[in-house]
This record gives sequence, structure tokens and C-alpha cells, in this order.
Amino acid sequence: MNLGTRKILDRSFTAVGVTSIVLMALALLVVLVPIISGGLKALFFQGTIEHRQLVYNEFGRGDREELERQKEQSQEARRPVFAMLDAFDAELEGMEPAERREYRSQYNHVRDVLHDMLGPLPGDIEPLLLRFQYGNTRWEQAEESLHDLLYVTKWDYSNPNVMAEKYFTPRVDEFQGTALAPLFAYVETHLEEMLLPQPEFYWGFITDRSLDAHIFGGIWAEIQGTFYLAMGAMLFAFPLGVIAAIYFTEYAKDNFLTSMLRSANSTLAGVPSIVFGLFGLAFFINTVKVSESKSVLAGSLTLAIMVLPTIIRAAEEAILAVPKTYREASLGLGATKWRTIVTVILPAALPGIITGAIISLGRAAGETAPIIFTAAVSVGATIGLADVFTEPTPALSWNIYNLASEHEAANEIRHVQYGMVLSLISIVLLLNMSAILLRARISKKLKG
Amino acid sequence: MSQTNLGENRMSGAFVVSARKRTIQKGMKFAGEGLLFAIASFVAVVVLFIFFFVARDAIPFFQLRGFAEFFTSTSWYPADAPGEFGALAIIYGSAMVTVGSALIAVPLGVAAAICLSDVLPFSVRQYAKPVIEMLAAIPSVAYGFFALVIFAPLLQNFGGPIMMWAWWLIAGPFMILAVIVLADLLTSKDGEQQSGTNVKRVVLSILFSIIALGFLYWVGMSLNAIQVMTGTNALNVSIILSFMALPTIVSVSEDSLQAVGRELREGSYALGATRAETIVKTVLPAASSGILAAVILGIMRALGETMVVWMASGNSSHIPDPWYNYLDSIRTLTATIAGDMGEADQVTGSARYHVLFAMGLLLLIFSFISNLVSERIVVRQRKILSGQ
Amino acid sequence: MPMTAEANTRSAASQGAEGSNREIFLPPERKAVKDGGKPHVTAKNFSIFYGDFEAVKKVNAEVLSRYVTAIIGPSGCGKSTFLRAINRMNDLIPSCHTAGTLMFNGEDIYGKYTDEVLLRKRIGMVFQKPNPFPKSIFDNIAYGPRLHGINDRKTLEGIVEKSLKKAALWDEVSDRLDRNALGLSGGQQQRLCVARALAVEPDILLLDEPTSALDPKATAKIEDLIEELRGSYTILIVTHNMQQASRVSDYTMFFYEGVLVEYAPTKQLFTNPKDQMTEDYITGRFS
Repeated sequence: MNLGTRKILDRSFTAVGVTSIVLMALALLVVLVPIISGGLKALFFQGTIEHRQLVYNEFGRGDREELERQKEQSQEARRPVFAMLDAFDAELEGMEPAERREYRSQYNHVRDVLHDMLGPLPGDIEPLLLRFQYGNTRWEQAEESLHDLLYVTKWDYSNPNVMAEKYFTPRVDEFQGTALAPLFAYVETHLEEMLLPQPEFYWGFITDRSLDAHIFGGIWAEIQGTFYLAMGAMLFAFPLGVIAAIYFTEYAKDNFLTSMLRSANSTLAGVPSIVFGLFGLAFFINTVKVSESKSVLAGSLTLAIMVLPTIIRAAEEAILAVPKTYREASLGLGATKWRTIVTVILPAALPGIITGAIISLGRAAGETAPIIFTAAVSVGATIGLADVFTEPTPALSWNIYNLASEHEAANEIRHVQYGMVLSLISIVLLLNMSAILLRARISKKLKG
Repeated sequence: MSQTNLGENRMSGAFVVSARKRTIQKGMKFAGEGLLFAIASFVAVVVLFIFFFVARDAIPFFQLRGFAEFFTSTSWYPADAPGEFGALAIIYGSAMVTVGSALIAVPLGVAAAICLSDVLPFSVRQYAKPVIEMLAAIPSVAYGFFALVIFAPLLQNFGGPIMMWAWWLIAGPFMILAVIVLADLLTSKDGEQQSGTNVKRVVLSILFSIIALGFLYWVGMSLNAIQVMTGTNALNVSIILSFMALPTIVSVSEDSLQAVGRELREGSYALGATRAETIVKTVLPAASSGILAAVILGIMRALGETMVVWMASGNSSHIPDPWYNYLDSIRTLTATIAGDMGEADQVTGSARYHVLFAMGLLLLIFSFISNLVSERIVVRQRKILSGQ
Repeated sequence: MPMTAEANTRSAASQGAEGSNREIFLPPERKAVKDGGKPHVTAKNFSIFYGDFEAVKKVNAEVLSRYVTAIIGPSGCGKSTFLRAINRMNDLIPSCHTAGTLMFNGEDIYGKYTDEVLLRKRIGMVFQKPNPFPKSIFDNIAYGPRLHGINDRKTLEGIVEKSLKKAALWDEVSDRLDRNALGLSGGQQQRLCVARALAVEPDILLLDEPTSALDPKATAKIEDLIEELRGSYTILIVTHNMQQASRVSDYTMFFYEGVLVEYAPTKQLFTNPKDQMTEDYITGRFS
């Protein structure tokens, strides 16, 4: 081959390598950026008067007098809407039945959208579910409702070869010449006065309980559940893992049995996470019956088994990294082997062991599959520490799945889902980063 | 566990202690080590338990329904009164996303590993490593959420253009390279170093370029015209799973590349090889078994992943038509276990409950074998490289 | 031109020893080689740095063609660094850079337009530890020629045989060319590495402590091989072992802390060193 061609191939080869690293960094960005920006919207958003009312009523936070004043103000702006609705109701009464039917379904839709937007309208029955007791709490939702109010969505099926296309027609056309016609223009121009949006920092998203299956409120129950599960897992896995690592590094002889044990360790590391879930269900719940059904305890035990190989490996590496001279110095002073391990080797290896433990903690906090059958429930209140032996708990990871895939209003509560994902990722990445920093400090120390 | 106690042993000498004391010491030491061993073997016990308990609940299914239906039928109606439990389409779905993610992650991961071990200077490598660690640390449910809420709509609305651009950006440079190499190979003679411009080569290059451009354009346009019916499909899942398999592939491959010593690289450079030649002809062959192990581990990660496929694969249990249609929804073993247990676990005795354990057993056996194989491969590589 | 290459010396004595004609000092039993003695590698104020650390300091020397030149000195004195600079092996270390000029056959090794691939083809190298590729013996030798575009099996077979014969390994391995090279003994592996380097037909052979990992018997074979190759190739050998330097080389360079202290015909350097430092080193007063 020509030398020039060889050089071009060489450069391209380098380029491919660098590109692949760049692509990985890009993949990370592409995943993280939308999640972070979406997640922050759960905390920072334009909140309406409805949001402030909700927070005051449910969590008792907020300035009562200011709220009353704003309520008065928004009520003032809403009055013409209600008046127009009343006028149209009267108009409907006077219509022919056929004509009335024609308007009825359209009108009902208008009322529904207004209900979503402003909360219960005069004349509605007092709703039972919290989600129907308040209007749009977030301004961007209110804007969506407004669009829904102003336009009728229609589908264009004219071209049979492509998927039907969406288009919109003004809803006001349907009500031309009735008492309702001016309502659309009025709502469009007065939406802000009716809802009084202002920037909110809703820190309660982290610390509040959820209301009406996460339609409103925060995610404290999930955060607490995740904390219980992950800490519980470490409580079991950490001591076991460190002792096993001591055995492997200090006592195990190089024989068949040891290699079998090591093989078992790597097998355990490779078991798919959902199989841990199956095992937890079949063993901890159905066989040993650590609890009647799902419980934090069963989930923690399952997670503990899952992270055990990681902890053993990290601890082994940390112990092996302790310089041999430490060992010899201690033994040379007449210390027993066990004493040497406890007083010299473990303290020296501790930062490394902790690093591994932190990473495992993150992994336990982030896993979903093992806790589906053993510990997680979709909707639940926070549980006390005493309940962990018997009660299941909501957890971040599980509820991200649940809210995104199975919630009846999954599309309306995207901000909650994003907020949960961001919380989970923050917890896991913060843990990982502290582990990375810790490791960097250790390697600096070892270098001297 | 203190073994010596100064002052007490004077009777028997400075360090010669009584036989009885020595026996007690030995006994305690033995007991202590035994205890440690018991704890260390806990892992092995757990592995055995996992196999036992998953198998225990899987076997009743095969007793009830036999093997044939599970492995050969594609009819999956577990909720019906007698129920149909054909898992072929589900197994196929698992295979499909596993292969798909491997096709993306293996070339990318090996290239990244090479870049980390042989190309990037240490200062840059320090920043690349945390990127990989973060990719590995992001919980699977977050990837699943991304796939379902962000990526799927994107794929559904702009699938055609996305694929077209991906094709052009990836295939374009490789086409150019192929043209250059082809023109070179066809014109250069054995052992002859050519210099200066060669008319024949220029003509050939132009000819090949036109063909390549036409091909690039044609495929790009065909991709652009494709309408993606649903964003929750095998392609979406394969791409996201490849993100998750990448860190494993990169770090294990990199270890294996690092294990190929500096000496081999220097030997090759000293003979006048370029970096690419050194890596392709010397380092990669020497590290090939370790890379194979990395690929197996990465594939296992993709096969065993639950949340992403459950959320973003569409969960429709059929074999896509045509069989290679990655834009179709599929269903995998892991997602089926996760999704169906909710309805099945109340009725412990039913085939519907046990079939999920049968699927778990299948995954377990597969992961066990892959692990054994990759372990053996790594051991063998170490032996070969140490010259035994 | 001075026949002993001019050295950046600490002692005036060694500079005074430079002859003015082209007479070549050789140990008595060593014959002058045909067409040899031309300056092949020339260093002018040549320095090598690792970051800020100057590992080789302003070396001035000429390596003469077709003779064996040994480089000795205590560990860390820069002798290996200097050797590896000749075929730009140090390029692989990111922090390493050079100053001054190093010429090979009148061309600048570190010039702006130098192609290190072509350079390394001309300069073969054998390393401290035998490093055969984990491939067959045949593929090991054919590796270089294949890189440079020879793919014809017949030609390759010819090259492999010729190289193995030159490296005195042919008789031992001719019947098992398809076996993995890692199955050879250490000494055989090292000779294979020599054969591999010879297969690309270099002008110079750089040997970086080629026998330090070998037993005495294998070492003797390598030394015999060097003797064999003398006269056909310019050979530079870095060695820890002063006896070896005096046995195999025509000229010897002595490096100390990055400085080329003395460069003279081997016999002269070992019997009548001009520099006190050299004398201390070869008499074993420090190492």
C-alpha cells in the first residue's frame, strides 16, 4: 500500500477513536441535558393562583392575606366568564331540542376545559378528587388549556398514503352569534388576570407528600423509600462484603475451592437484575416469608445480594493496594495476623472500601427491577422506620416507571416524572462523584 | 484472638509455649478462618439458592405445558382461560435488541477503548474516564424514561431524517476511505512504494467517488422516506441499550488492551508500522480474547436489562415483519417478567406464574454460561500473553 | 573530520586525543571493515528532555557506519534514551522533546518533514526484553515486509529464510515456522527479534541491552551474532555489561548523567581512558 494511503488510514483510525469518545460524551449530554432542564421545571416554574391556594390549603404554607387579595383579584377577572356561561345556559334553554343537542357536546367541552383551567365552575358539583378541585397550577398547563379552548383539533385524512395530519380551527366559529362567542376572546386576553402567574420556587417538591397520585404535591415518600432501600441493602451487604474480601485477599489459598468461590462471585455479578427480583419473590417472600408480602426488608435483602459482588471486588482491590511493607512491619512487631488486618490493613484500605460502598449505594438506589416484586408500591404514604419490616414503600426508580408508563394522566404530570428522574440521577451521580473524588484523593496520598 | 501473651509464657520459655496452649491457639485460628470462609462462601450459597429457587418455580411450568409450545410458538396469551404460552416471539425480541445494541456498542466501545489506551494523552484520558463512569452510573429507569418520553417521540416524528443524517455522517467518511484504499490497492504493485500523482489512480478515485456518492445519496433518500409508525420500537431500545452496554465494553476492553505490554507495541513501531497498523495487526490480535470477553459481558448487560425495554420497546409480542424490521415494536423476556408478574403473582400455582420463572431461568442459564465463557477467555489470554 | 566523533567532554584530555587523519583505532584482533567508517549518525548539540528534565545533554558525536558502537554508563545516565532517539521511539512518550540536531545519512531525524515510519524502516531496533508478537515465527518475520507492501508469498518466504539465516536461527526453527514464536526460548526469541528487524533491510541496528534478560549461553550466541553482522550493518548497542562492550564493540561511548563523557575506540577507552570519570566507572569505583 502507498505510504500516503497508510498515513490517511492512520489518521482516520485516530479520528474514529476520538469520535467514539466524543460520541459517548455526547450521548451522556443528550440524556442528561433534557432530564436536567425538564427536572428543574418541577422546582422552578410559573405558578398560578391555583398553585398558591393548593399549597396553602394542603401544606399550610403561604401568606394568607396576600392570597385572599389575589383570590379576590382573580375572581374579579373570572366573573365575566361565569356571566357569559350563565347567559349561554339561558340561551340553550330557549333553543329547539335539535339545535340544543348540536351545541351541547361542544359546550360541554368548553366547560371541561374551563374547569381544568380555573377549577370548579359555578353550578358544578363539588368534586371529590383533589385534581378536580383546582384549576391549572402551572402557567404552561394553563396555556395548553387555553389553546384547547380556542381551537378545535381536526384530522386530515385526505391523503390515504400518509398518516393523518392534525390541524386546528377556531372554536369560536362553532358558537358564532351566541352569547358564548365573546368568551373566547375574553379568556384569551384575560387569562393572566384570571390566574395571576408568578415565578415560583417550589422546594416542597422534594419534601412534600404527594397529593392525588402525584397530580399535585411532592415526592418525599419516594425519596425516603429509596433511602431506606439503599441503606438497608448496604447494612447487609457492606459487612458481608468486607469480610469476604478479607478472606479472599488474606486467607484464601490458591486452590480449586477458592477459584470456585471467585467464579460464583462473578456469576452473581452477571445475573440479570430482574432475576434477582424473581429470586427475592420466590425466596424471601414466598419461602422464608420475611414479610407477608412486599416489604422494605425483602427489597433491601434482594438489593444487598445484587450489590454484594461489587462491594467484594472493590474491597479486595482496596486491600490489595495496601503496601506490603505495612503488613510486614506489623507482623514484625509481633502482632497476630488478625490484629494486623484489623489495626493496620483495614484502616489503610478504608477509603478505597468506602469508595466501592458509595458506588454500590448509588447502584442500589437506582435499581428498579429487583424491587418491583419485593418492595415497591406505586402509591403510598411515607412509612416510619418501624414499618420497614412489614410495609412496602414507594421508591423513586419504581415510580418513575409507574408515572411515565402506567399513570392515567401520564402526559399531564411530565414535570413530576422529570423531577423524579432528576432527583434520582442527582442522588446517584452525586454519590458517584464523591466516590471519584475520594479515589483521586487516595491515589494522591498513595503517590505521597 | 490474641495469640501471644507476654509474661505468661515464661514457664515454657521465651516463645515456646505449652502444647495445650498451642492447641487452643491453633483451634481458635482454625475456627476463625472457618468463620471467615463461611462468610466468603455466602456468595456461592446465594448463587446456588438463586438457581434452586428460580428453577423450583420454573419446572412446574414445563411439567404443566411441556417444552415445545414455549420454544416454538409465538402465541402469547397468558391471561386467557387455558392460556397460550408461546415465548418464541419474546425470545426473538430479546435476541433482536441484544444484537441491535451490540452492533452499535461493540464498534463504538472497542474504538473508544483503543482511543483511551493508545491514542489519548493521559491528561485527556482523565476526563474521559468519568464520562464513562457516569454513563454506567445513570440508573436504567432514567434511560428508560429518556427512551420513552424524549427519544420515542423524536424517532416517531423525525425518524426518517434522523436515520438519513446518521447514515450520511457515519457511512460518508468510511466511503471516502474505502475509495482511497480501493484506488490504491488496484494501482499499486507488490512492494512498490509509489510517489507522485498517478493518472490511473486519480481516474479510478473519481470513478469510485461517483459510485460511492450515488450509493450514499440513494440509501440516504430511502431512509429519509421511511415513516416511523411508532417511536417505541426495537431501534430505540437498541440505541439506548448500547449506551448502557458501552461502559462495560470500554472498560473491560481497555484493561485487556493495557495488558498487551509496551514491548509489543514498540516492536511493531520499530519496524516502521503506523499507529493504526500497530494496533490492528499486533495489539488487537493479542487482546482479542479479552475484547471478546468484554463484548460478551456487554451483551449480557443488554440482554438482562429490564426497565428500558419494558418502557420503550412497545411490548408487543410478535416477530417483526420482515424479521429484521427494527422499526417495529417488540417484547423481551425481561419486560415480560416485569410486566406480567403483577397480574400473575396472586395465583402462585398457575402456569402463568411459573412461565415467568421459566423465562428467568432461561436468562439465568444464559448469563451463567456467558460468564463462564468470558472468564475462561480472560484466563487464556493471560496465559498466552505471559508466553505459556 | 575527527575519527573519534567529537564529544562534549568535561576533560580537555579527550578532546586533545582527536586525531586529524582517518586512521581508525581498533583492538588488534579487529579488522577494519570495507566501505565502513563514514559518519552515519551525527549528533550536534543534541539534547533530549522529559518535560523540563534534560535527560541527554548537548551530545556531539558521530557514529561510524558498519562498525559496532557500544554505549555504556550507569543506569539512568541517558544511554537508552539516546539510543531510542535515533529511531524516534521516544515519540511514544508525550512529554519527551528534543533540541539540537540528530542526522542520519545527512538527513535530519527530527526535521519538520521527516516521516518517522520511513525512518524506522531504515533503522532496526531490538529491545531489552525479547518481544516477539504472539504470532507464528513466519508471521513475525514477515510483519515488517508486509507493512511495507510485500504480500507475495514466495518473496516473503525468501525474506524470512534470509533473515533467519542472518540471525543464525534458521537451523533451529526452519522446520517449525508456523509455530507460535512465544514457544521459543528466551535467546531464540531475541534472535528472532533481530531477524525481524533485519527483514525490513535496515541500515542501522539499534540494540537496547539485548542480552540483559538472557542466560550466559544465549548471551554468547547474541554476541556471536553481533560479530557476524558487523561489517554489514552499523550497530549501536546499549549495554550494562562492560565486558560485553569490550568484547563486541569497535567504539565505545560513556554517558554519565546525560553527558557524553568520552567517546573513543573501545580498546583505548578501556585501557587508557582520558577522563577520570570514565576510569572510575570502568574500574568499578561507581556504577
